[in-house]
Amino acid sequence: MMKSLFLSFLLGSILFMNNFSEVQGRKWKGEGTTQNLESISIGRCYDYIRVVNPAVGEKNCSELWEAFINAFINKDPCNILPQDFELFFKLSLHPIPADKSLFWENNQLLVNSFSDRARRYMTLGDTLFGFFGDFLNWCGKENSTGLDYESCPTAAECENNAVDAFWRMASMTYAQHSSGVVHVLLNGSAEGGAYPVRGFFADYEIPYLQRDKISQIVIWVVDDIEGPNIDSCGYNTVQILEDRLKALGYDVTCTDNYEPVMFLLCLDNPDHSKCTLSSSAPAAAQRGPISSDRGGSWNRLMFVSFVGFLFRSALVH
Amino acid sequence: MPSQRGSARRRQRCVLLTGIAILLIALVLAAALASVLTGRKEEASPEPLKWQGGGTTRNLREIVLGRCYSYLVEGRVKLGDKDCLKIWESLKAAFIHKNPCNATTKDYQPLMELASHPVPCNKSLFWSRTYDLVHLYSRSNHHFLTLEDTFLGYMLDGLSWCGDPSAPGINYESCPKWSECEGSSGSVFWKMASKMFAEAACGVVHVMLNGSIETGAFRSSSVFGSVEVFNLNPDKISEIRIWLMRDIGGPQSDSCSGNSIKKLRNILEERNFKITCEDNYRPVQLLQCVHNPGHPDCSLCTNSTEAP
Repeated sequence: MMKSLFLSFLLGSILFMNNFSEVQGRKWKGEGTTQNLESISIGRCYDYIRVVNPAVGEKNCSELWEAFINAFINKDPCNILPQDFELFFKLSLHPIPADKSLFWENNQLLVNSFSDRARRYMTLGDTLFGFFGDFLNWCGKENSTGLDYESCPTAAECENNAVDAFWRMASMTYAQHSSGVVHVLLNGSAEGGAYPVRGFFADYEIPYLQRDKISQIVIWVVDDIEGPNIDSCGYNTVQILEDRLKALGYDVTCTDNYEPVMFLLCLDNPDHSKCTLSSSAPAAAQRGPISSDRGGSWNRLMFVSFVGFLFRSALVH
Repeated sequence: MPSQRGSARRRQRCVLLTGIAILLIALVLAAALASVLTGRKEEASPEPLKWQGGGTTRNLREIVLGRCYSYLVEGRVKLGDKDCLKIWESLKAAFIHKNPCNATTKDYQPLMELASHPVPCNKSLFWSRTYDLVHLYSRSNHHFLTLEDTFLGYMLDGLSWCGDPSAPGINYESCPKWSECEGSSGSVFWKMASKMFAEAACGVVHVMLNGSIETGAFRSSSVFGSVEVFNLNPDKISEIRIWLMRDIGGPQSDSCSGNSIKKLRNILEERNFKITCEDNYRPVQLLQCVHNPGHPDCSLCTNSTEAP
């Protein structure tokens, strides 16, 4: 009888714990929906069309928000597909200027600094639809129209989660509307190689590029200043990428350590040997394009010769 | 009898004509009355005042709220709980229905109190006439904070707002430029925010000035020169470091040894500050080179093309 009592107690406590965790709301392992998501997203939409890039014209930001959440609320959070966001992307679409598309892998912060908020290049994060969702998190609940603020599924828990579905559709849309000379910035120090053969660029961007709209694909492979040189143009994964694009019929070029991006990396390591500007001389005494080191050793030579001359003259007299 | 029928017809015609005449007069009177009434209605809601600058940013409320919540989630300074709706209401109350040339610090005091926060030492980055470069730098190097990286500055950077005495109380057509009136909403707000930012600064502070301006890198009439310089606290600040940046390929108008910097030095040294100045501070110059890659001043010494 004690055994059966104990077993029923055990069963009871297991059931209670299950209920308790559901009541607590932590269904998934990932962080929940960003607090005040609606206000942030609608605010960003208006920020974009009024301040960041008014050239895109008028958009109905409330309508955009409705299309966005209707893609994933009241559904199984593990079964959200890119097509569910179709209406959102249709409403938020705007032209991407030719020659301004910049794709990237493993260097988001760097690429944001480089693109300078759509002034130099327009990355996915610089478009209205990318700007809308960047750095935010979201998911819904089955049988409820509310957002789940407690937790959201990670990619490991379910492949077809709302956030990944959004970014897949965003990547496809961005690639489809890119034209002219298209650029891609890769991290030559990334573990596993500069070009991830499975990733957003490989799976959701390259296949959606429109060959008849693109004149050239320019690849930049940039190593971290202190980082290892794992990949370069013509080697390893970059070679795989170059071959793939050429096979698809694109005109492809590749540059290692593209200087303008190197300058950005040098911000945190200005004294590194890779970061010496060939024109760096003290501003007060510009002696032309002689590097400060060379200038220093010439100075020393002249000084020593002069002292030697004085000394000899003193001895003679 | 023909004359009797004739006179009856004449009477009928008279009545008809009179009726038509009355109807016409009534119509004319009605039209006149209508135009008078609508004219009066137009007088009751006058046009907003006309200014030379751009009007209030449309959807100002949504933008400010969105930025407020955004900063709380991913802003550069970690803040506790802030009531974004209350902050918006406080901003709105500061300018709505008011003449935008009569703004006072009292209008913005509640907003300042709701949105201000301390700034960590050694991080304050002031600037004058280097808007693009300084913000590019603070976005790339998160060690530094400009006013526009603080909560208040972030919410309102790049936005325009002003009130109007007539309904609805916000002027979306135009707003006064700072030069149009002393007490313009924009200038009162930003000068107040700048004063607070300067007062909050501690440790080593930096300022980025523009050495390609003909009239000099430092001007007493700028917000930096007229407000921030005088609200830095010598008891909290150990050093002021000036970065004098000249445009790549641009005019080399000023330098650390120039007159405007001498003037700035005098003002600051009189208040017991320790000042250093550096021409073309390297990291910021590197950033300038990102956008001027082909320029001779911007070629890197070593170009490594080693294979992995």
